[in-house]
Order: sequence, then C-alpha cells, then structure tokens
Amino acid sequence: MAMTRDDLNKLKAETQAKEPKNWIRVGYSTCGVAAGAKEVFDVLTEEAKARNMDLLVKKCGCVGLCSAEPLVEVNIEGAPRVFYGKVNKEVAHRIMDEHVCQKKLVENHIYEI
Amino acid sequence: MKQILMQDTSGTLKKELRDLYVSFNSHLRDNGLADKAQVVLVSDIGVHNKGMVVKVLPEGFIYINVQSTHIADIVAKTVVNGAKVDALAYERPNKQMRIVLRHCGILDPESIEDYIAHDGYQGLANALAMGPEKVIEEMKKSGLRGRGGAGFPTWLKWNLTRAVKGEAKYIICNGDEGDPGAYMDRSVLEGDPHAVIEGMVIGGFAVGARNGIFYIRAEYPLAVARIQKAIDVCYAKGLLGKDIFGSGFDFDVEIRLGAGAFVCGEETALIASVEGLRGYPRPRPPFPSVKGLWDKPTVINNVETLANVSYILFKGGEAFGKIGIEGSTGTKVFALTGKVKNSGLVEVPMGTTLREIVFDIGGGVFENRAIKAIQTGGPSGGMIPQEFFDTPVGYESLQKLGSIMGSGGMIVMDENDCMVDISKFYLGFCVDESCGKCAPCRIGGVQMLEILKKITQGKGELDDLEKLSEIAEAMQRASLCGLGQTAANPVLSTMKYFGMEYEKHVINKKCPAGKCASLVQYSINKERCTGCGLCARNCPVNAISGDRQTKYTIDMAKCIGCGNCYEVCKFGAVLRQ
Repeated sequence: MAMTRDDLNKLKAETQAKEPKNWIRVGYSTCGVAAGAKEVFDVLTEEAKARNMDLLVKKCGCVGLCSAEPLVEVNIEGAPRVFYGKVNKEVAHRIMDEHVCQKKLVENHIYEI
Repeated sequence: MKQILMQDTSGTLKKELRDLYVSFNSHLRDNGLADKAQVVLVSDIGVHNKGMVVKVLPEGFIYINVQSTHIADIVAKTVVNGAKVDALAYERPNKQMRIVLRHCGILDPESIEDYIAHDGYQGLANALAMGPEKVIEEMKKSGLRGRGGAGFPTWLKWNLTRAVKGEAKYIICNGDEGDPGAYMDRSVLEGDPHAVIEGMVIGGFAVGARNGIFYIRAEYPLAVARIQKAIDVCYAKGLLGKDIFGSGFDFDVEIRLGAGAFVCGEETALIASVEGLRGYPRPRPPFPSVKGLWDKPTVINNVETLANVSYILFKGGEAFGKIGIEGSTGTKVFALTGKVKNSGLVEVPMGTTLREIVFDIGGGVFENRAIKAIQTGGPSGGMIPQEFFDTPVGYESLQKLGSIMGSGGMIVMDENDCMVDISKFYLGFCVDESCGKCAPCRIGGVQMLEILKKITQGKGELDDLEKLSEIAEAMQRASLCGLGQTAANPVLSTMKYFGMEYEKHVINKKCPAGKCASLVQYSINKERCTGCGLCARNCPVNAISGDRQTKYTIDMAKCIGCGNCYEVCKFGAVLRQ
C-alpha cells in the first residue's frame, strides 16, 4: 500500500487536528533515561490516568540541555508553558499537583531554554 | 494569573535573592494582589551574569539587576497593567537556531504520525517530484557541506556518485560517532529518526542508489532501536520499499552495527566494516564515490548532514543558503561540554563566535573560573586560546586557527586544565584507536605519547619538543588515513598557543595548572591549618598525619600528588607548588 502525496497531507491534517490541548513532554533520549526519565515518565502517566485527566504524556528526544535532565516540558491551559529540569519522582508529583491541577508553577526547577 | 520568575544570575546574591522573594510576596499581599501573581524561584532564567533577574509571564518581560526598590514599579506597571518597565528591561538575544534539532524534544520519535504532522516526508515528496538533477541543484544552492568533519560539499559528493555508471549504488549514513565528548548524532538519531531516514532516501534518489545502510555503533542501543522502529513503520506505510509516492523509485534500508572502533568513522574503514571485514582504511583513490561498498559507487553522509537534507528539500536550498556565512552555510550542532555551566547540545548559525556559544548560551565557566581554551574537533582538532574567541565559527576560520570544525565536539578548558596533560589524553585516545596498518600512525603515535609522558613526569628535555614536532610532521604527511594525519593536531596546537606551559614542564619541572602529579608538591601551612583533619580523611594513601594541637603535615615520601587535600581544604591551608 504505497502512500501518495495526498495520503501524506491527509494524515498530516488529521494528526494536527487531533493535537491535544494539554500535554507533557518527557525528554527520553539516552541522557534523559540515564538521569532517571523512566521513573518520571511512569509517575506522570500513572497520575494522569489516576486523575482521569485530558492530558497527553509523551516521550520525546533530547531538547539539548543535557545537564538539567530529566527535562519535562509542561503545557497546560491557563498556565505558561515551561521546562522543568532535574525532575525526580517527588518533583513529578508536584508538577501534577501544583502545575497541572492548581496552575501554579513548581519552584526551583524551571529552566529557560 | 501572572508569574514572577526570579533568579540570582551572579551566583553570589543568595541572601538578596531570599529578601527579594519575601519582599515581592509581601508587597503583593499588602496590595491585595496575592492571588493575581505567583512568585517563583527558578533554576535557570536563560540570562547569565546580569545580577538579580526577574521575568514576568505571560508577557515574558525580562528585568535585570533588580533591587528591592524596583518592586513597586514592577508590580504597578507589569503585574497590574501588563506594561514594561523600560529602565530595567533586557532583551535576551536568541543565539540558537534549530534546523537539525528542529524536532528534538518536540515530537515523539517513535510516532511517524507526529513527524508527518510536523511537515515530515514533505521534502521527500518534493524531491521525488522534481527529479534527481534538480535535487542536486537544490543542494548546490543550499551550500550544505558535510557535517562529519571534513566539510566536503554534499551536492558535489552526490554529483560524483551520480555520474558514475552502474546499476547498484549505495548510500551509507555514518553514525559511527566516536569523538570523546561528542554526541550530537546520537541525539538526532534518538530524537528525530525519521528526519535522517528521509534525508537518506532523498540522497539515494539523487545519486541513483536503491539501498541505504545505517552504520551505527552498537554503543547506541536506543538510537538503533528507534531507527529500526522508524524503518519498520516506514515500510508499513509505504514510505520505504517499492514505488515510493508512486514515483517508481524503490528504496530499501537496513542497519549495520559498528563495534565502536574510532577508525571506522573513516569512510574506507567503515566500508570494510560493513562488508564484514576488519575495520582497516585503504588508500584513496579510488574514492568510495567510484568504488565503495562491494566495489560499487557509494556515497557516505553523516547523520547531521542527512537531517539537514530533509529540511533543505522541504524549505528550499536558497532559504538554507541564506543562513550562516560565506562558505559555511546553515547551522552547526555542537556538543558543549567540559568546564561549562550548561553543558549540552547547542545549535547555532555558522558565523556565531565561540564566545557567544560558551558565554551567552553555555553560561560561562564553572564557579566563574578563568577560561583557558576551547577544544574543537575532538582528537583531530585543536585547542583555541582566549584571544581567538571572537572568531566566527566556520570550516575555514577554525582551520586557520589550527583546529577543525570536526563533527562538533566543543570542550571548554579552564585554568585548572594542563595543556600538556590534555594533549596527552587526546593522543592517548588516538594511539588506542589506531588500527595499526600504517607505520607513521602506529609507531609515531606511541613515540609521541612516550615523550609526553616523560614531560609530564618531569623528565622532559629541551630537544623533546623538537622531536614532538618532527614526528608530528611525519605523521601528518605519511599516514594513510585521517586518524593518523590528524592525531598530532592537539599536540601541535597546544605547542603553538601554550608553548610556555611545555617549557615550564621541561625547564622548570613545574606544572602551572597543578595537574601533573609528579610536578606538584603539596604542603600544609600550619598557621592556616585549623586541625580539622578533613585532608587526612581524604588522603587515599594516608600520607597526612597530625591532630588538632600539632596541626597536620604531609609525608612527602608517601604523597602521590593526587590533590585531594588541596581540593577539600576549606581554609586554603594546603599549598600547591
């Protein structure tokens, strides 16, 4: 089933239309994984599921600031989009509690990239 | 709701930061604005060495050198009215530009839909519609040069392979990244595998190859897994295999693993390795473009080059050619490591200066120590001293300084790094990795390394320096491949720019940076010593003895010069000479 250019554009438009409003991206390259991204990703997905939220948690490549891995980018309606660096389990829980639910930024972990 | 982010970017205003934080909060509370704004301490505000920095979101205004007297102004103007306080405002220069890393950290590398939603495979569709000649024409307009190190124009490489007659041709993606401290290719393979595959298919189409091979080192398991997954899904979607986009063009891709030998990054050795032979380079010509894999015309492109290709065919060569400087177009990804605050990957347009990369993006040196040099190009590159930090980065400009662009490793050295020791490290790396086929590299490297060891042990003689340059020249001229030809570069460039350090090692038997253990003597100043005993507890050979009354002393017979005591002493009582 060869793809045509029309198929490609259709798939592009469909995927773009499905783009979720609220998302969290976890840096999941070797640098992130080595720094503990798996644990962070697991906490975030579990919490999102447990709270039954309209929130996509996805794995991504490395954004570049490897010294601050694991890096997590959070985009929630009603709060600014920010990067959190050096995230561990506790910080991941705080991101869900404070940023995602209360729309308040988590202190001491924000990195501007 | 607004957010007031703040950070002390000087690293010295801990108390002031606390005070500012408290005052901001109380000011907001007193004015009944507590639920209108949140004050947040952040780790990195993206501005360096500008005192206390405050950033207000969502406007994104940045204020520098903020003091408590400014609070009322910031709150009244920005928090309440959304206006800027011009007197404090600062525009953060945006030095980075993402082309190769355009999707890294943004899309899910394991989802082809995500890649397609971000304009993926549009470049390939364009290429197949325009035909091979026009693709090469487009590449020529872009001015893209190979990102693996040598900087050969990509369109020319493709054109050479295209011109050779023959049914079977190959395109290989060189993912054998081996420079110490460099990992941009790994990051691209892991973060945006489809962009590299797309670039490869375009390249294959342009040169007339029907088979593509990813040569990736086995130490990159995640990169291999993601590329494999991407290849599989491409086959399932019909983006690889027969009749791609109904153009009649067939293309197959497979992965070959490398065992991690540095020499296999050299193209003829890489081809030997893919063929299942020992990774030995062979003399060129014939060049791989004429006689490569299985003796068929082969084009070899680096990961970063291919990631650029998919972008160029999507956006057009002309637009790409406008980025960067004359002769070096586009951007370059550097792996910024060493004694720099923010280590990681940076992508800048060609022509950005080294100073901008290290200080504006990297945030400067650890603990604000003095920077000594920047190493570029890995073991084939050289050391660039302070006075040339304003050089715009480009293939020719770095070569003029006795270094190279290389694949993009950039290691920052500070005053505690000894240049003789560093060049010993790089040379040692090349000696380890030398395949041993040709004598200049096999013997010359070992001999140079022996001399450097001698010098760092304080046994150097004056004519050793001459011998070093002599052997280096022989290696440069007579070695078979790039590894041997460039192995001496770190030594030559440090001798050129830091000749004084070599002389101090040889003549005065001293290591100015205090790195070479045999040339350094440690002693304890009894007046400064408080008798805490921290040094004694950190001495690995129990050479330090004493107590709170008599203070501590170092037994020189036992001391191995590791410098642990010097590092841990909080009172500056350990002296290094």
